[in-house]
Amino acid sequence: MRALGAGIGLLLASPAAAQQAALLPPYAGVYQPKGVDEIGLWQEADEEERQLAASNLLIRDERLTGYVRSLLCDTVGADRCGAVRIYVIRAPMFNASMMPNGTMRVYSGLLLRVRNEAELATVLGHEFGHYESRHTLTAFKEQRSGTDAVAWMAVLTSFAATYQNVRSFQNFQLAVYGGFYRHGRDQEREADRLGIAYLNRSRLRPQEASAIWQHMMEEAEASASAKGLKKPNFRLIAFAASHPPYAERAGYLAALAAPDGADREDGADRYRAALAPFLGQFLDDQIKLNDFGASDYLIQNLATMGWTGTLWLKRGDLYRTRGNPRDLIAAAEFYANAVKLDPTLAEAHRGLGLSLMKTGRASEAVVPLQTYLTLRPDATDAGMIKMMIPGESK
Amino acid sequence: MNGFTKAVAIAAGLVLFAGAAQAQERSATKQGFELPANSGKKILVFRPSISVGAQSTAGMFEPNGEWTEQAKANLQAALAKAQASLGNTVIVAPEAYGEDAQTLQEHMQLFAAVSDAVIQYQFFVGNRLPTKKRDNKNAVFDWSLGKGVADLPGAKDADYGLFLFTQDAYGSTGRKMLQLFAAFGGVSVRSGVHKGYAGLVDLRTGDLLWLNADAEMGGDVREADGSEKRVHQLLEDFPGSTALKAQAVAPATATATATAAGKP
Amino acid sequence: MKFNTLRVALALAAVATLSVPADAHKLAEKGKVVTVADSKLSITPTRDWNRLSGKVGKHAEAWTLDGEQLDEVTFYAAIEPGEALIRERSKKKEPLPKFRKDMLLAELPELLERTYRTGKDARDFQLSGATPGKFLGRDGVSFTYVVTDADGLTRKGEARAAIVDGRLYMVTFDAPRLHYFDLLAEDARALMASATL
Repeated sequence: MRALGAGIGLLLASPAAAQQAALLPPYAGVYQPKGVDEIGLWQEADEEERQLAASNLLIRDERLTGYVRSLLCDTVGADRCGAVRIYVIRAPMFNASMMPNGTMRVYSGLLLRVRNEAELATVLGHEFGHYESRHTLTAFKEQRSGTDAVAWMAVLTSFAATYQNVRSFQNFQLAVYGGFYRHGRDQEREADRLGIAYLNRSRLRPQEASAIWQHMMEEAEASASAKGLKKPNFRLIAFAASHPPYAERAGYLAALAAPDGADREDGADRYRAALAPFLGQFLDDQIKLNDFGASDYLIQNLATMGWTGTLWLKRGDLYRTRGNPRDLIAAAEFYANAVKLDPTLAEAHRGLGLSLMKTGRASEAVVPLQTYLTLRPDATDAGMIKMMIPGESK
Repeated sequence: MNGFTKAVAIAAGLVLFAGAAQAQERSATKQGFELPANSGKKILVFRPSISVGAQSTAGMFEPNGEWTEQAKANLQAALAKAQASLGNTVIVAPEAYGEDAQTLQEHMQLFAAVSDAVIQYQFFVGNRLPTKKRDNKNAVFDWSLGKGVADLPGAKDADYGLFLFTQDAYGSTGRKMLQLFAAFGGVSVRSGVHKGYAGLVDLRTGDLLWLNADAEMGGDVREADGSEKRVHQLLEDFPGSTALKAQAVAPATATATATAAGKP
Repeated sequence: MKFNTLRVALALAAVATLSVPADAHKLAEKGKVVTVADSKLSITPTRDWNRLSGKVGKHAEAWTLDGEQLDEVTFYAAIEPGEALIRERSKKKEPLPKFRKDMLLAELPELLERTYRTGKDARDFQLSGATPGKFLGRDGVSFTYVVTDADGLTRKGEARAAIVDGRLYMVTFDAPRLHYFDLLAEDARALMASATL
C-alpha cells in the first residue's frame, strides 16, 4: 500500500514534489490584529470562542487537553504556542480547525484516527500554519473581491440578457467561484508545507505526515467497499473540493519529509497511553455511525498494537448491529475474545448473550446474560435482560 | 420563465437580494401581563448578541470590530435611558464562568429555539400551527423558558430578564454604487440588512412576557441617537411603553406593526 | 429577451427567496381518533395537538404542541424489516440503520440511538433506562434517554416500542431537558397509552 501511495503521488503533477517545505517565518512576538477586516474577524472569532468554551460538546479533561497542548508547543515552539487555545470537541469526524484569533478545535474523530504523536503533530502544525499565514483573512478578502466582480457582472448582464451575454456571465461566475475553491486548496497546501517544516525540525518522525493520508485513503476504500460503491478516485479534484485530494497530499508530504528524520521516534506508546481513557467512547461514537467498512478498518488498525478487551467488544457491537446471520456468529466470537481478555467487561457478556440468542443458541446465552446482571445489578436495561432469561423474576 | 433568464435571475437574485428576509415586524405580549410605568422593576440584560459590519457589493457580511463595540456601548446606554423613562432600572448581567456559563448558554440556546418557534409557528403567516393560530385569535401568547432562569447569574437581584439580538450590515460604498447603477437599468438592489429581536422573560416563572421580531430596523447603531431610535423600535410595544411611543421618532420606512391580538 | 420580462423574472426571484411552505399543518383534536404515519396505528389525543406537515419518513409522522424545536412526538408505524426509521438522504452513500426481523426488544433503543447519530447528527446519546412494558397490548419496551445534538442542545427522550407481526411500532417524545420535557411528558405518555392497532 505504501508503494502504491507513493506511485500515485509521483503520477500527479510533479510541481508539488519539486517544492520545498516552507521556511518557517520568524517569530514576531504576540500578534494583535490590524486593519478593519482583521479586527472584525478576530472579534467575531472571540465571540464564537466564548460560546465554544461553554458548549456541552466540549471535552474538558485537563489531562487530554494539556497533552495535546504540550505536543503543539513541542512542535511549533513554546513562544508560538502561547497564541493558541486548544479545544477538544466530541464529534466523530476526522477534522481540526483554526480560527483567526488562535482558537484551535480538535475533533474526537481525529484523535481516534491518528496513531502516534508524529501524526497528531502534523495536524496541529498544519492548523497552526493556517493561523500563522492568516489564511482566513486572505480568503475573506479574496471572496469579497471575487463576489463583488460577480455582482457587477450580474447587473450588467441583466441590462442586456442575450443568450451570449448570459452564457459569458455563467462562465465568469463559475471561474470566480472555482477560483475561491482553488485558492482554498492552495491554502491547504501551504498549511501542509508549513506543518511538515515544523515536523522536520521537531523530535518526531516527519515521514508519519504522509501516513495520515494513506490511512484516510484506506479507510475510504473500506467504507465504499462495504457499501457496494465504486472505489473512490483519490486523484480527482472536485470543483468544490476544499482540500487537495488525499493522494496528492500523501505524495508531497512524503517527498518533503526530511530524510534524516526517519530514525526519530513516533511517540506511539505515549499517544496510546494518553488516548486510552477515551478510546472506548470515541470508538463507540464511530461504530454507531453505521459505516461498517470504515469502522472495521479503524478497529483493526487500532489492534495492530495488540487487541484489548475493549477493541474486541466494540468489534462485537459493530458486527452484531449489522446483524446478518454470519455477522452474529462472528460477533459471538469477538465478544468471547473480549471476556477472555477482561472478564469484567459487562457489555461484552451482554453482547455475547444477545448474539447467541439470535443464532439459535438460547440455552448457551443464559450464562453470559446472568453474568452481565451480576456485574451490573443496576444496569439501565436490567429489566429487559432479565426478561430474556427463563425463570428470572422481573 | 425562460431557462437562461431564470439562470440570470437566480444568480442575480442570490447576489442582489442577499438579505431580503421577510419584511415583517411583529410583537406579542403575554395575555394579562402589564408593566405600569414607574413600578420600579429591575431588568437584567443578558449578554446581548450584537453584530455590526458592512455589506460588501455582493452582499457578503464584513465584520467591523469598532462599529460593533460602539453599537454595544450605545445600545446599552439607550436601553438604560429608555427603561429609566419607563421607571425601570437596567442591570447588566454579570460574567458567568464554568458550569454557570454552560447553564446560561443552554438557556440562551433555549431562548433562541423558543423565539424561532414563535416566529415560525405563531407569527409567520402560512406556516402557523393550528393551535397557535387559535391562540392568536384569542390573544393568547403562552411560551416559557422554565423556572431554571431563576438560578442564572444575576437573576436573584432582578424581576425580569431581557434578551437582545441585533445584526446590522451597512451597505458599503460599492453596494450603494451597485444599487444606484442597477436602478438606472430598472433593477432593484437592496442595501443594508438590519435585523433584530428582543424578548422579556419573568425571572421567577421563566414565562416569556413579550417578544418582538423585526427584520428591517431603523436607526444607525453606530451613533448615539441612532441607537436610541433602534432601542425604541426593539422595544416597540414593550409592556407599558405608551410613554416611549410618545417620544419616539417616526420611523423612516413604514413597517406593518401587528400585535398578536390583531392578526387572525 | 424583452426587458420587462427580465424585470418580472427578477421580481419573481425575489419572491421565490421568501420560503413558502407546501402544506399547512393539521390539527389533531382532543378526543378524536386518528390514524397516523400512513398506517392502521390509531391515536386518541387527550388535548389538541398539531400534526406537522412534511415527511419524516415513509412510515413516520411527527406531532408537536409548540414546534419540533421544543417538543416533538414521533410515531413510527409498521416499519418493515430492512427499512430505516426515517427518510434516508442517500441510500447508498449514507445508509441509515435498518430494522431487522430478528431484532430483540432489548436492541430497539440501540436502533433509535444509531438512527439519531447517523440521520440527525446527534453527538451524544445516553440510555437512562429500559424496562419491559406493554405497548399496543403486547410485550414491548419502555425506555428513556438523553441526547445532545450537533449544536450542543440537550434533550430528554422517552419511547415505547413493540414488534407486531414482524413489524416495528414505536412512539418517541423528545424535548429540551430545560423545562419542556418535564412540562409535557404526561401529555406525551397519554398519546402513547392511547395507541391501538
